[in-house]
Amino acid sequence: MKKTIQAILRHVVLLLLAVVWLIPILWLFVTSFSGYKGINTSHFFPETWTLDNYAQLFLRADSIVQYNKWFMNTFVIAVFTCVISTILVLMVSYTMSKLRFPGRKSLMSFSIILNMFPGVLSMIAIYFILKTFNLTNSHIGMIIVYSAGAGLGFLICKGFMDTISVSLSEAARLEGASEAKIFFKIIIPLSKPIIVYTVISSFLIPWGDFVFAKLMLNSGIATDWTVAIGLFNMLSKSMIAKYFSVFCAGGVVISVPISILFLIMQKFYVEGITGGSVKG
Amino acid sequence: MKKALNAIGNYFKNIGIAFVRGDVWVKLSAVLMGAGYFARKQVINGIIMFLVEALFVVLCAGYAAPNLAKFGTLGTVQFEQVFDPLTMTSTVNDYDNSFLILLNSIMALFLILVFVLFWIANMKAVYRLQVQKENGEHINTFKEDVQALFNEKFHITLLTLPAIGIILMNILPILVLVAVAFTNYDQQHMPPSALFTWVGWSNFKNLFTDSVTVTFGYSFKKVLAWTLEWAVLATFTTYIGGILLAKFINNKKTKLPKMWRTLFIIAIAVPQFVTLLLVRNFFADSGIVNTFCTSIGLTDFLKNVGLVPANLSYIPFLTNPGWAKVMIVIINIWVGIPYQMLIATGVLMNIPEDQIESARIDGANPFQIFVKITMPYMLFVTGPSLITDFVKNINNFNVIYLLTQDVYVTSDQLLANSNAKEIDLLVTWLFRLTNEYYNYKMASVIGIIVFIICAAFTLVTFTRTIKGDKEEEFQ
Amino acid sequence: MKKKVLATLLATAMTAGCLAGCGGGAAETPAAEAPAAEAPAAEEPAAEEPAAEEAPAVEAPAAAAEGTDPIANLIAATTGTVTLKVWASEEDQDLTTKLLDEFKAAYPDVTFDITLGAESESTAKDTVLTDVEAAADVYAFADDQINELVKAGALQEVAANYTFDVVNENATGAVEAAAVDGKVYAYPMTADNGYFMFYDSSVFSESDVQSLEKMVEVAGAAGKKIAMDISNGWYIYAFFQGAGLELTLNDDGLTNTCTWNAAGGTDVAQAILDLTASGVLVDMSDEDMATQIAEGNVAACVNGTWRAETAAEAWGDNYAATKLPTFKAGGKDCQMSSYSGYKLVGVNPHSANVGWSMLLAEFLTNEAAQTARFEARGLGPSNLAAASSDAVMANPAISALAAQAAYATPQRVGANFWSPAETLGQILASGNPDGTDLQELLDTTVEGITAPVE
Repeated sequence: MKKTIQAILRHVVLLLLAVVWLIPILWLFVTSFSGYKGINTSHFFPETWTLDNYAQLFLRADSIVQYNKWFMNTFVIAVFTCVISTILVLMVSYTMSKLRFPGRKSLMSFSIILNMFPGVLSMIAIYFILKTFNLTNSHIGMIIVYSAGAGLGFLICKGFMDTISVSLSEAARLEGASEAKIFFKIIIPLSKPIIVYTVISSFLIPWGDFVFAKLMLNSGIATDWTVAIGLFNMLSKSMIAKYFSVFCAGGVVISVPISILFLIMQKFYVEGITGGSVKG
Repeated sequence: MKKALNAIGNYFKNIGIAFVRGDVWVKLSAVLMGAGYFARKQVINGIIMFLVEALFVVLCAGYAAPNLAKFGTLGTVQFEQVFDPLTMTSTVNDYDNSFLILLNSIMALFLILVFVLFWIANMKAVYRLQVQKENGEHINTFKEDVQALFNEKFHITLLTLPAIGIILMNILPILVLVAVAFTNYDQQHMPPSALFTWVGWSNFKNLFTDSVTVTFGYSFKKVLAWTLEWAVLATFTTYIGGILLAKFINNKKTKLPKMWRTLFIIAIAVPQFVTLLLVRNFFADSGIVNTFCTSIGLTDFLKNVGLVPANLSYIPFLTNPGWAKVMIVIINIWVGIPYQMLIATGVLMNIPEDQIESARIDGANPFQIFVKITMPYMLFVTGPSLITDFVKNINNFNVIYLLTQDVYVTSDQLLANSNAKEIDLLVTWLFRLTNEYYNYKMASVIGIIVFIICAAFTLVTFTRTIKGDKEEEFQ
Repeated sequence: MKKKVLATLLATAMTAGCLAGCGGGAAETPAAEAPAAEAPAAEEPAAEEPAAEEAPAVEAPAAAAEGTDPIANLIAATTGTVTLKVWASEEDQDLTTKLLDEFKAAYPDVTFDITLGAESESTAKDTVLTDVEAAADVYAFADDQINELVKAGALQEVAANYTFDVVNENATGAVEAAAVDGKVYAYPMTADNGYFMFYDSSVFSESDVQSLEKMVEVAGAAGKKIAMDISNGWYIYAFFQGAGLELTLNDDGLTNTCTWNAAGGTDVAQAILDLTASGVLVDMSDEDMATQIAEGNVAACVNGTWRAETAAEAWGDNYAATKLPTFKAGGKDCQMSSYSGYKLVGVNPHSANVGWSMLLAEFLTNEAAQTARFEARGLGPSNLAAASSDAVMANPAISALAAQAAYATPQRVGANFWSPAETLGQILASGNPDGTDLQELLDTTVEGITAPVE
């Protein structure tokens, strides 16, 4: 008897916690179907239900809402970002993990410190550097911003590669394979999980960044924007009263693919953070 | 340290040797970089070196020299534009843009530094060739040199591209930031219309000054204190919370652990800026939570207790200093716990069962097991990531900015006089200084300090990790 | 020589403006009257030239076209596509798109590539100042930003007018708001960016709204709230200025003089404390007001024309607007003051096509455009002719603004004002929780406001 009560209690507590965690998400979801465009402050659930917010997102593009365009822009930027970032990360992590050369450890310490430097601090300088190359207000510029420094984020991937047994590459070396061949033929295939992790995590960056995007894509032309700036803009002072529920709809739409990717990624996430000391 | 000095000493000694013992070709290489290679019949190498040198000379003359010439003053010619009303066209003079001069000079200096290193490497390589020839050793053909780049010199090949990106996106901006901290670049001196110039250490002095009108010193202390407080609170609440939640879900008595875990993960899978902006409106002064609290009488109760000022008809969740700080920490817990739960779940599964078993047999209660076995193990495995989290929280821009921007008004007058707020972290303060007040000089000073703090924390932890690391464990 | 040219230009401009004024048609720019699209560009405006009878420099038509008609010169000098970037607020996009098409039609011989971006007038400065060179060629902004924009070299002086007389056809206040140190830097677009009071006439009678104390009493009895963004320098100014205390910009254009801590200052602070103590007059941001009016919790608010729509929708026939009420400070009634506000259109001096930008700016702010803007969005024109139409006069929000105009002052204030004033408002609106001595509170505020700018 006591046991049953305990078990029920345990699940009730979990349920309460889950509700706390999901209430804002639920609010996002239901508000996206609200017939009232502003923030409904007296009712949790909308008084009138409609699909109009989604229609406005996808079907009625105007100078403020260009959701299809934003989605495409962000998608293209994200694809290039994740390809370039992944390549850079693999290059650096392989070098740091498997190759031995003078100055390796100091280079690693230096990179780790550099990686701790938050981008917000130097964004004005980055803006003007890209401006000298005429890359502001362009998606190429955004891709560079998101991916060029990716090499610094090698730590997780290196930790994984450290766990790949050295005997494999030794054997290959004895057979006369070059370092390049070992890299492509042995290490990369064995690093699949961490590559998936790197790909997904760098793919997600452009979807969540509004600070750099807002600074770089400053033409004011909605068709140039990414989803993040577009949605962020809907909550600006002059717009929020007319666009809040549209914002929610937009939030729901990007959350779906991102959640799926995130759920795939979280398996590798743990392994990465704990430096490979945990084998899932 | 000594080792590093030795290394530097050796480095220069080697160039000296190259100069003293090198033959005429090696000495000629100091001026014409390809010379030494031609002498050893490495024609392609020689041509490449020569082209590199030529390119450098062209860049120097066309790019570096004109910018560096103005580096001392950061420009003297003010922007002037004349509009001719009759032809409706405007003419602009050949003006100096201080920021571009600064930026280009730093790039030029960097270029020169790289070239000098390259030149030194070249001298050594050329001398080595001479020695090899004298000893009758094999001298690589061009093809062999290229092959080396995919073998023993593979690290150079692999690191070149990432390094270029990092230099462009990380190192140069940081150097620019450092330089700006020593100038008077602010709203009164904004290129292209105005010039700015060097001012020495005066911005740093301002940051540590407390006077009636300059309150940066006061604000800096306050903001720094809250930044550290926040970083500690945010890191530990989510860390402990995550472990507890993970243990709770992983407990054998919990049914459907996977489902519960997924429920919590959904909350963080939605992009952060969406959830945080949403939560900000959720807890707004006239938001839905307030409506609810008023209707169940919680607002009045809190008023009676004195937690809510008497003249407010709402709970100032994100607008009152005390409330806002608590709410930000709570919301951060909401954001952070699922992540930590994920990690903790992974780690907890690997705890050696036998240890726990034997402790249990010895009569330890669950709490003792948690403190004596689980926590030490967790800390051992997740220690480094805990410090990373701490540094990331020092710079947790998103949570603070998205929750309080446009909503929070400071009620500390001295903070207001230097555009800071009680809930500001150093990064958000810095962001506001640049984005709303164009006070780049002070923002740069703060930026440097943030960097020093973060670097110190990182160094302390990671040198330990790198030195005594497990990287050779499997090899 | 230059003076003479200018005089000529002004004369030309005035006649042209007069014509535009009489005709009232937006499309009636000189080129639009050109007979055939194929005619040589330089001759087109020459057809208009004889109309400018005051212009002394008329010799031969061709020479005149070469020398004195700037628009003709510009058209003649323009080869290739004219690329322009325009920023207008999100709400103004539809109208601006239409106006841009009309503008292109007005100069059929020139190929334009005009892109329209969305940038709210209230935040234009933030985007422009980050990188002036990347900012739009023509952009709309609120007049409170003009000082900083001029200081940053982000505004082209309006040295000459071409299609109408900007100075004389607009309200004096609007022109003053567009000028810095006696030079005009922008084209007035609307004269409605100030604030006044909206109220629900089913709650308040006309005599109630004369005094804030009375309003608080009435609203308290009715269980409604009165909203004002007290924790905002722009609004809290109403109290202090109303009580005769001063806040002015110094001649350097950067620092402020402020006497809010002089005798009587504490009375004002006490008045705000008293008024907000009941919880009827509440400190509320503009966005919150939008929802709270719609929800029916707020029955009166201090705000501007941009909330007229919300209020009119929520209160229906009971929607009313009037000047700000009086409040009691130190025992006497003081009429609340306000900032008069204007929306302006500016030209970026870094534009590659300054000439075309100026023409476009004129086009976006001429009488026809302002009338269209009023008809589409209810924004009060700054153009005297447009403002005198019956429809404009009958608009309650705009007439309230006109009634408030007597107590309004143009906004001239240095950047150091905002943060300290905002904080003062926040402290007073939350009931001075630390119990700081009011004089001390004001002294610190004034120190912040008047702090030197290095």
